[in-house]
Amino acid sequence: MRQTTLCVPLQVKPESCSRLCALIDALCEREDKGEFGFPQNFARVKRDIPSLHFMSMSVFTAARYDPTFILEANLDGPPSVFWGQLEAAFGPDLREMLRCCKQPLDRDGPLYGAVTAPDSRAPMAPYLEARSVKPSVFHHGNRGLTRDRILREAVLFGAVQDELDRPDLTGPNPYRGLPAAELHQKLRARLRPAHPWLDDPPPARITKAERLADLFRLVSFAVLVLLFLSLPGLALSPFLERPTYAALMFGLALLIGVIVYRKRRPLPGTGIETRFNLLTFLAGQWLLLVPLVLAYVVVATLLLVPGVTAVTWLLELLGTGRMVGLGEAFWPVARTVLWGLLSLIVTLPLLVLWLRFLERRDSSQDAPPVDERLLREMVRREDWVAQNHMGSIVLIRPGVLRTAVIRAGHLGLGLLLRVKATTGYLGSMRTVHFAHWAFLDNGSRLLFFSNFDHSWDSYLDDFIEKAHVGLTLAWGCGVGFPPTRFLIFDGASHGRQFKNWALASRAVSRFWYSAYPDLTVDQIERNVAIADGLRKPAMTEEEARTWAWNL
Amino acid sequence: MGMEPVSEPGRRWPSWKLAAEIAPLTQGLVVSGFGRLPTGRALFLELPPSGSEPGRGAWLKTLAEVAPVTPAVPPSGDEDAQPRAAALAFTWTGLERMGLPETALASFARPFREGMLQEDRLRRLGDRRRGAWQDTVIEGGPLWSANTPARAPVLQRIGADGGSEMPMEDHVATPVTVHAILLLYAKDEATAEQWTAAVATALQPHGIGIVHRLELLLDVEAAGISREHFGFADGLSQPAPFDEEGAVLLDGQPVRKPDPVQGVPLGEFLIGHVNGHHEKAPGPVAPGDRNGQEDGRPPVADLLAPHPEAQGFYDLGRNGSYMVVRELRQNVAAFWRSLDENAAAIRARDPQHSAYVTAEWLAERVVGRDREGHLLCPGGRLKPDQLGLPDNSYLFHASDPHGVGCPAGSHVRRANPRDALAPTEQDRATLLAAANNHRILRRGRKFGPKIAHDRTDDGQTRGLLFMCLNTDIARQFEFVQQTWLLNGDFATLFEETDPLVGPAGRMTIREEPLRRTVQVETYVELAGGDYFFLPSLPALRYLASR
Repeated sequence: MRQTTLCVPLQVKPESCSRLCALIDALCEREDKGEFGFPQNFARVKRDIPSLHFMSMSVFTAARYDPTFILEANLDGPPSVFWGQLEAAFGPDLREMLRCCKQPLDRDGPLYGAVTAPDSRAPMAPYLEARSVKPSVFHHGNRGLTRDRILREAVLFGAVQDELDRPDLTGPNPYRGLPAAELHQKLRARLRPAHPWLDDPPPARITKAERLADLFRLVSFAVLVLLFLSLPGLALSPFLERPTYAALMFGLALLIGVIVYRKRRPLPGTGIETRFNLLTFLAGQWLLLVPLVLAYVVVATLLLVPGVTAVTWLLELLGTGRMVGLGEAFWPVARTVLWGLLSLIVTLPLLVLWLRFLERRDSSQDAPPVDERLLREMVRREDWVAQNHMGSIVLIRPGVLRTAVIRAGHLGLGLLLRVKATTGYLGSMRTVHFAHWAFLDNGSRLLFFSNFDHSWDSYLDDFIEKAHVGLTLAWGCGVGFPPTRFLIFDGASHGRQFKNWALASRAVSRFWYSAYPDLTVDQIERNVAIADGLRKPAMTEEEARTWAWNL
Repeated sequence: MGMEPVSEPGRRWPSWKLAAEIAPLTQGLVVSGFGRLPTGRALFLELPPSGSEPGRGAWLKTLAEVAPVTPAVPPSGDEDAQPRAAALAFTWTGLERMGLPETALASFARPFREGMLQEDRLRRLGDRRRGAWQDTVIEGGPLWSANTPARAPVLQRIGADGGSEMPMEDHVATPVTVHAILLLYAKDEATAEQWTAAVATALQPHGIGIVHRLELLLDVEAAGISREHFGFADGLSQPAPFDEEGAVLLDGQPVRKPDPVQGVPLGEFLIGHVNGHHEKAPGPVAPGDRNGQEDGRPPVADLLAPHPEAQGFYDLGRNGSYMVVRELRQNVAAFWRSLDENAAAIRARDPQHSAYVTAEWLAERVVGRDREGHLLCPGGRLKPDQLGLPDNSYLFHASDPHGVGCPAGSHVRRANPRDALAPTEQDRATLLAAANNHRILRRGRKFGPKIAHDRTDDGQTRGLLFMCLNTDIARQFEFVQQTWLLNGDFATLFEETDPLVGPAGRMTIREEPLRRTVQVETYVELAGGDYFFLPSLPALRYLASR
């Protein structure tokens, strides 16, 4: 099933900030009945907002901005149903919280006025929907599993454990000594009456249509990037002799390449060895890259041919040329597109050089100030259950190139994640339930939310040690980020600096709800494996042995 | 659990040393657990309250006469030339009593400044939740700690005037306050006793009380191993430090590259050297003492090197370390009796296929090694290495991905997972390197008498004085405790923790086709503990000059 990740950032009236924090705290206290960490916590939220996986409410304070109230939600299906459920559950509280926020100055102003007027009963959903922001990148760990399925399969897991151990019985355990296939049969027979859904096939986590759409988006993105990068070639190659054009491209590439090579070294004291090798990585991705380039050539040709025909037709009408037919234009255009690709060897290094120029002049913040009181408020709320939550806002480095890189980078990363991260793993880590990035204030600030497993420290250490490249790519645009090199190197590998930086950007997760606080991403996948196995009427012995590792 | 590798002459792992210019500045405990000195004492000191007058370091000068802190053996030196050894470390409250200036006290790492008994830290370490001590702590709570004062309450909300008051932090205190720990290592019990008496006599005029003491023991057997109280060879897997700048020597040669399995940068254990985050491990500073000449104390500049980053400050941390101390009591009879019961229950429920399940078999799985220290692997146990000692270059993922040999949740596999958490073959190198970013250098020793009959409780107190060195307490010791040992979801297990040192609960032992489960009890309890700073020798002289 498709899932939605969204956030609603709202500017807070500074004078109402403490009232807002108190409202959120009060709501949290009311819902979080058994104090932190008891299973019956948030029972009402669980019942009344059944589409919800994770939700948080935080107030970000910063020296350069008025406080920002952000509602983050990760849910099953489209948001429309969720808004209704949220309003039914938290209506009065939410309305009072909205009253602490500023009235938007744009066309949402009247809507805000209607919703927050004294004794207003106007539905808040339209306003919240209008103010919600789509993530620039998001990741769903247990992709396509509805909340109800996760909960149901967790119940099954408990039943399986009880059935296999049966501590209430004394005689020989009927499951011991059986071949795996028989064990599976016996267990399935015992569990079916209480779990009749085991007779249904597992719902598809990612439908074929969704998969195709994800692939289509990624390919379209790649085609556009390639088109943009070969624009100089497309413009030049028709007007130059081939050898002249080729010589020009190779000459420029060599020149820029030499400069980039000379600037490749890290600035003193900022270089960190990594086992990540870009060339090996790209070579490993040829299965993805080669079809992408081919797709680009085909698509670009098909797009450009009608253009050429149209332009020449126009010229012919004006009497200054001859119309080139579709068939006639095809091969020359295709050749131009191919030759245009050659300019990649100039445009790419040029961009890298530009970037390197910026990187060598960026300042990083070694010791960003951390508010002691805020820190304590965060720590006090952490490490009660298997999961934790973090929210962060950083400023984005200015400039045309940075803006282009981060916009395109996030778009591409988001699309790539949809295609590649379908098993819960981000590289070698499987600890993130729902995480997303979003741009705020016309792209001047970058918001990050994550609902993850284990402690905040271990979560960040994981990224520093195992995914510093991706992390540097995604977050390196932040003001004060540790020194980066070629967009992906060093950066987050400066572990302590990076953690200080990330810590300083955080806000207290005043209200944080998880529908299944005791389940890790890993455990949910284990439950899925057990359930999917039990849904099968029979297994071969080999299949059953692999399956039985999960028990 | 935590003792250093020990050996008899001729059968030992090669031991690393510090380069000649660093060794004399560093406490010997960093490079050695003094394995050749079998007995010892841990003396927990309480320092007198101090005014603002100088002379609070005078006792250190007295101590230097009766029990001088042992420096690291130089590369050319012979360890056996040291007939006895001493080490000294301070808690944050201890340094406060030593009259360390505010700026210096504030420059220590946060975990050390806050102490192990800070409310949120206790929760993360599994000791206390919601105001209640957990089962892994002795009845009534730990006996001793640094008793670090709680921080000021959070009074108001951010971004607004007034606002309601946040709950004050719970101040967790122990009956006994420890300001410093003095470790004495000697050849025999008589020397240790005599020496302790001499130290007590010398310190008494300074108003220093020995508020708690433990008799430490290391009974090395002929096979070159020492056993913890449950009966298992201990302290076998230690990190092997290396240093790009040549500060670590092995057989006289600098070790600049990491050992493929156990290699860890020196800066993980010694402040001021390159650590796992590729920077010099940060440490505390001391302010320049402008009045040094006037009040008769030697100026700080004569004792400490200028700090490389903090202009006008001196490097108080370099060649020092942080030491985590936890006094862990072991209930030997409970351990073996509970495993007897579990083995009997398993055999009763599976009479045909479980003849091999005995308490011994279960205990090996709980620990992850056999009694002699050999790691379990599919089909039995690992063969000894070329020195005849337990092989420690073993990697789990390659040979035992499901943990059918060494259970996925066993103590050794949790305490150092190596590559075990790798999801695929290609990730093994990354995961091994990641695991090595969270290593600790263990220096623990056991205390209390050996039990006569391991099924009969003799009422004696015994256990392990867990001590480990690290430069980043949060990333090393606390990470190991929270994310590995006590993580209920470690290695895709569900709601089970370390079977040896964790609370009572379930333990899974994977077998084909069906896993077995064991109900373990609480066998180990915390009786006291805190974080200490193990100063370098120049830093000790600086403290003595206060």
